Amino acid sequence: MAAQVTFYLLPEEGSPGGPSSAQLYACQLASEYYRKRQSLFIYCAGQTQAEQIDELLWQFDPARFVPHQLQGEKSRKRPPVEVGYQASQQGFHILINLTDEVPEFAGQFRQIFDFVPADNSGKEKARSRYKNYRAAGYELTTQPAQFAPTETE
Amino acid sequence: MSEIDKIFAADGQLAAAVPGYQPREAQVTLASTFYQTIKAQELLIAEAGTGTGKTFAYLLPAVLSGKKVIVSTGTKNLQEQLYHKDLPLVKKVTGQRIKSALLKGRSNYLCLNRYKLHKAHPHLEDKQLYKDLREVEEWASRTQSGDVGEVASLAEDSRAIPLVTSTVDNCLGRDCPDYEDCYLVNARKKAQAADLVVINHHLYFADIAVKDTGFGEILPDSDVVVFDEAHQIPDIACEHFGERLSTRQLIELAKDIETLYRSEYKDTKQLGKASEQLSKSCRDFRLAFPILAEKGNWREKGQQSDVQAELDNLVKTLDFLHDVLKANLSRGKELDNCFERATEARDKLALLIRWEVEDVSLWYETSVRHVSLNLTPLSIANRFSRIRTDKEQSWLMTSATLSVDGRFDHFTGILGLKDYRSLELESPFDYYNQSILCIPRYLPEPSERSAIEAMLTVAEQLIEAAQGRCFLLFTSYRVMNLMAKALKKRIANPIFVQGETPKRELLDKYLQHDDPVLLATGSFWEGVDVRGDALKCVLIDKLPFASPDDPLTEARIENCRRKGYNPFRQIQIPRAVITLKQGAGRLIRDVKDSGVLVICDPRLVTQSYGEIFLASLPNMRRTRDLKTALMFLKNTETNNG
Repeated sequence: MAAQVTFYLLPEEGSPGGPSSAQLYACQLASEYYRKRQSLFIYCAGQTQAEQIDELLWQFDPARFVPHQLQGEKSRKRPPVEVGYQASQQGFHILINLTDEVPEFAGQFRQIFDFVPADNSGKEKARSRYKNYRAAGYELTTQPAQFAPTETE
Repeated sequence: MSEIDKIFAADGQLAAAVPGYQPREAQVTLASTFYQTIKAQELLIAEAGTGTGKTFAYLLPAVLSGKKVIVSTGTKNLQEQLYHKDLPLVKKVTGQRIKSALLKGRSNYLCLNRYKLHKAHPHLEDKQLYKDLREVEEWASRTQSGDVGEVASLAEDSRAIPLVTSTVDNCLGRDCPDYEDCYLVNARKKAQAADLVVINHHLYFADIAVKDTGFGEILPDSDVVVFDEAHQIPDIACEHFGERLSTRQLIELAKDIETLYRSEYKDTKQLGKASEQLSKSCRDFRLAFPILAEKGNWREKGQQSDVQAELDNLVKTLDFLHDVLKANLSRGKELDNCFERATEARDKLALLIRWEVEDVSLWYETSVRHVSLNLTPLSIANRFSRIRTDKEQSWLMTSATLSVDGRFDHFTGILGLKDYRSLELESPFDYYNQSILCIPRYLPEPSERSAIEAMLTVAEQLIEAAQGRCFLLFTSYRVMNLMAKALKKRIANPIFVQGETPKRELLDKYLQHDDPVLLATGSFWEGVDVRGDALKCVLIDKLPFASPDDPLTEARIENCRRKGYNPFRQIQIPRAVITLKQGAGRLIRDVKDSGVLVICDPRLVTQSYGEIFLASLPNMRRTRDLKTALMFLKNTETNNG
């Protein structure tokens, strides 16, 4: 059975310099699905982005804690969430894609989360990914991103 | 406005007495809740974060209540601070003329009888001991309290101390010729008569244990009991509810009997024979264990054939000794005292070899020359909860670290406490802006071989950025010593390592330098209060899970598993959380402090239990980027400079 791809429609970006709304929403999804006992791989465009995600997850309020590691970190007991920018090892339920492409290894996941940014260039790239997923036979849905109220720290 | 509110108000008595006093909500809440607790004879369990001012918050209501109060704290140092610094101020503020007393354990007081004995026979062969005894002599002529701690030049582990203080074993009690002038007796009398007594937990539970055996009690009856540093209670209570017998005690007994035989009872050859046999059995018993010091499971070890043979031998020797002494009863006070000790030792040994008893851990510990056998109850809930409910008392149990993930279940569960009020009072410090918690990226797990090298690199960068002023806290001596050795080669900062000198002296030396680094384990995770710029960074080597190799921990884990619980969740995580909170608490001690906490254990990020640790730690700003932490250290430097 082909995997399901969900595209989340993102709101306008917040303050420049801060994390993008795609990054924030990726972390929220990781927290939500970790609590549903799913394992996730967050695929980033490069090391900088991977470390940003790592930082965001670590700064989450303890109630939304996400046990995770960066690709290349070694744990005796692999955490349920991994963040990286290279092809993932087998064994995660869900892929969260933060890159502009459809990952070549996307086929191994049951479920894929992807994003449609509010800006035009981002939208354009998302549209092309959408086409590529469809061409590859994935089942596609689209829905607005719903941010949980963030903790005040 | 209640009496309490008035005292703590911005224009109240406390403000008048303490320069720069500012009302703190948490402090007032604790004080007024405790005041109600006293009236209602309830139990209040309160976690009060660093800087809430909990000492005044309980001393003021306790003194105002007009009731008999016992304040028990964790260490002798804290006892002294409480008694000599805080209590006088509280008396002044309340205008109450209460009688107060400071009472420490037996081994703190000069024993005139033993002191005279050793004065008469100077130990010329040991220069340090001779010097120490001369210091004691000089002081003994002028002391009021007889508290040996007053001899400042005496090291905590000076060999002079056991010579001039007494133990339950060698105290002659009412038969002592110096009974009337006994410092210990007088300190206890003073405590009996006082309205407020400051003691420590060991003394409290030693007293409870004595009461259980039906002997006289030391502590006065009281209406109010305050346990400060209450997170230590479970372990200390456990220790005192257990049994312990060491070959050291037995050999001392043998020596005392031999001395008596050679002086007063030359005709009684059996005494000489029995004491000689006891010394020999003890030595043989020690030889049945491996040469290197270790801790282990006594239930298993004691039933191994080679150990069993020596054990049987020891049992027989003690029986023989007991019979010999019994035959010589009423010939003299000293000899009768030896009979009591032999009887007690025999009874204890019988308890320590009841292999079939469940719900206790039987463990042994060896040193170069001695073996101790120990029995520790696995559950103290029943016994402890009876102490709570036996008398109609009001209790406060407070500490900066009692809760785990916002709950007190772990603490109350161990102690069997059911009816209580609880308070969780946050520290007034702005941890988010004052401090950073960093778990550096790409570090190997602490069990990996490469972990030490990685930690060294981190430590080196931190020490440079903070210009020394770092505490490196370890969960084992092994890693501490490895790190100390390697750091000495790599950095020029003055390095202080636990074990080189006593704790207080080590801290004094640390404070005398501008850029010092301190490496320590266990006892430095708690009760160390270094404020201001002298401490900018605390590095912790790993999450402080108790080693499952420790026989007591092993027994607790096994017991928990038998009952169908998950020992990791039930025992190891909560204990590690409390320890980590204590360790982390060394960093920020004051409103103006700032600093960085680095924990070299990625499991805090990668494992699901990280959530429990995070929810229990103060809300420090978190990063995984060591550079961010280093920048923070460098920036606070320029701000202050």
